[in-house]
Amino acid sequence: MAQLRQDYEEFVARRAEVVVVGPDSESALRDYRRKENLPFVVLPDPAHTVAKRYGQQVNLLKAGRLPAMMVIDKQGLVRYQHYGSSMQDIPPSKEILAILDGLNREEVA
Amino acid sequence: MPLKLDSTEAPDFALTDTEGNRVQLSQYRGKKHVVLVFNRGLF
Repeated sequence: MAQLRQDYEEFVARRAEVVVVGPDSESALRDYRRKENLPFVVLPDPAHTVAKRYGQQVNLLKAGRLPAMMVIDKQGLVRYQHYGSSMQDIPPSKEILAILDGLNREEVA
Repeated sequence: MPLKLDSTEAPDFALTDTEGNRVQLSQYRGKKHVVLVFNRGLF
């Protein structure tokens, strides 16, 4: 998350919003977001409704306890998925930023 | 039914963020890309 915070402006510059869904309680995540000064949207989902929905409806999310990341384009289509192999395994920002650059180029083309 | 990755529509959802704002995925449609992260425990 430190990486996402550090590079947040780079995401914004590419016309993207960063949205993090977490299973923790609303109060725990609010305290954490403020303490860590996280600029992005943090959505508490202690009932796992969104993760379940993504897992069941379109098999986007593999079952399990590892993190996942996806890039959804402006049209609402999933264009990139990454499944962590460990709790800390989130792809480097530059990889995600390159995906966003590609999406923005498509729009221009 | 495996769907093509590049044609899979992200299921819409709505949740309330840590600051009390209602956030719906589809609100970004036509406006911004979304980097959606599923965290599995307090960061």
